[in-house]
Amino acid sequence: MMVAHAESRFPNECCGAMIGNIDGEQKNVTAAVPMENAFAGEQGARYELRPQDLLEADRRARAEGKDLIGIFHSHPDCDAYFSTTDLQNSCPWYSFVVLSVKGGKFDHAASFLPNPDQTDAEKEELIWPKF
Amino acid sequence: MAKVLIPTPLRQYVEKRDSVELTGGTVAEVLGALTSQFPDLRKQIFNDEGKLRSFVNVYLNDEDIRYLKKDATPVASGDTLSIVPSIAGGAVDVAPSPAVAIPPTSLSSDEILRYSRHLIMPEVGMEGQLKLKNAKILLVGTGGLGAPLGLYLSAAGIGRIGLVDFDVVDFTNLQRQVIHGTKDVGRKKLDSAADRMLDINPNVRIDRYEVALDSSNALDILEPYDLVIDGTDNFPTRYLVNDACVILKKPNVYGSIFRFEGQASVFAYPGGPCYRCLYPEPPPPGLVPSCAEGGVLGILPGIIGLVQATEAVKLILGAGEPLVGRLLLYDALAMKFRELKLRRNPECPVCGDHPTITELIDYQQFCGVTVQEPAPPAGTKEGEIDPVDVKAKMERGDNFVLLDVREPHEYLICNIPFAKLIPLGDLPKRVNELDSAVEIVAHCKSGARSAKACDFLRQAGFRKVKNMKGGIIAWSDKVDPRVPKY
Repeated sequence: MMVAHAESRFPNECCGAMIGNIDGEQKNVTAAVPMENAFAGEQGARYELRPQDLLEADRRARAEGKDLIGIFHSHPDCDAYFSTTDLQNSCPWYSFVVLSVKGGKFDHAASFLPNPDQTDAEKEELIWPKF
Repeated sequence: MAKVLIPTPLRQYVEKRDSVELTGGTVAEVLGALTSQFPDLRKQIFNDEGKLRSFVNVYLNDEDIRYLKKDATPVASGDTLSIVPSIAGGAVDVAPSPAVAIPPTSLSSDEILRYSRHLIMPEVGMEGQLKLKNAKILLVGTGGLGAPLGLYLSAAGIGRIGLVDFDVVDFTNLQRQVIHGTKDVGRKKLDSAADRMLDINPNVRIDRYEVALDSSNALDILEPYDLVIDGTDNFPTRYLVNDACVILKKPNVYGSIFRFEGQASVFAYPGGPCYRCLYPEPPPPGLVPSCAEGGVLGILPGIIGLVQATEAVKLILGAGEPLVGRLLLYDALAMKFRELKLRRNPECPVCGDHPTITELIDYQQFCGVTVQEPAPPAGTKEGEIDPVDVKAKMERGDNFVLLDVREPHEYLICNIPFAKLIPLGDLPKRVNELDSAVEIVAHCKSGARSAKACDFLRQAGFRKVKNMKGGIIAWSDKVDPRVPKY
């Protein structure tokens, strides 16, 4: 779902939320909620989540007995790292998954957890579902 | 008791609960109660100064408290408060582009000098002036209302102003549209207005939209802006702007003017009414005259336009009481301002609880405006006479009466020599002044009222009646250019 959303929005950045549950140190994503990139301007290298959409996602998670655990967005034609812009406009409560999309195809992804002051972010290990 | 929903990552600070029930009359009191009960939560949502951290939004039920009364927003029993982070980002530091520049966070020395009278007011200050600089406003129309709006909003330092207009400046505009000058007659209003605004303040970014706003383009044009100011003069565009603002959740700063009276309000503000709550349907076409038909005191749009500009600046600054849920009525002759209370109509087809209009419709049709004006016939119709032929009749010395059915104050602006003045409304009681044996040629300003006069006379038994095609305007064009057009 996240990959499909990222590819469909190429060459713009996509964004959305991740719903799931937390099991100790491990966060399990059970559903992704694609959202509209609300950044007013050229969206090739920027994204913005509408707080209302996030509120809606949180409600959905609660209704399903799950938690809102993270945010995802894409980096079109560049690597999946946590940029200064990402860090400064993030929040320390959620995991941030960045998907690199190159030439319209998903390339790789990484997850980051910002520190409480949003001065740095710790890279988290991503474990993909097994088919 | 109000309920505060706790986001998952913060539940560790509130004994792993997903919501907490608290008492308090305002948002500040409820959040105060929450953080004194759970002190570890405090630094998660408040900064060292005790204000909400920059990424923290608080929603009362479905509304962002920033658009209500901020932390003074009243909380009733049964209300739900949600804590929602604002999140953005992007790979900009790899692919920089001017279009995605990070919003300015400081003013240049020149700007500090320019805005000094704002900066020394604590209600504006550096923070407020930066809000104005980062604000994006769309002005629909650069006419009577748009003129003062464009002048003052650019002077105030609004960072980006979009202008929508497809008209050209003409002489009749100059009596009130003070953003355009005599030298601009014949120019596009967009160019004339933008030049003047950039002269006032070169720091403003101006986006020009040379289009008639309609259902196919409105959402795209409105999308990039924080708020929309309606300076239009017709019902289809007014309903279009209203509906588009409701759909896009952007405040619509409304103003309208007619003769000596004006109105203003802020519509489509969260929780507040929209234009359709006030006027669910437009008046039948022709019932409410436009300014071109009924006239307008030239100063009036200055007052109403600046009420709109004031509301726009207040909304951006978050200062004072916005004109939401209130319709301001201004009467220039009495020099009185009055206020009507407006409520959001839960049955409103656009902003109500169960909206039936969720996308833009055909507003020309909705307002009963005939989309295709019937093409004027090439020649003169039966019962019509061309001004050139009227002139020829005069020169031949034909026996006929030229009947002017306009109003006396119009007659004083200009008239055709030897015309007999009987205003259309007086015709029934003064019909005995006319001789049915003598041919009558009726005229007015452009031919519409005199056509009605001809119909009336024919029904009254007059057989030799003709309507002068195109009225005194056509007379000026074709026969005597010394007769001024108005």
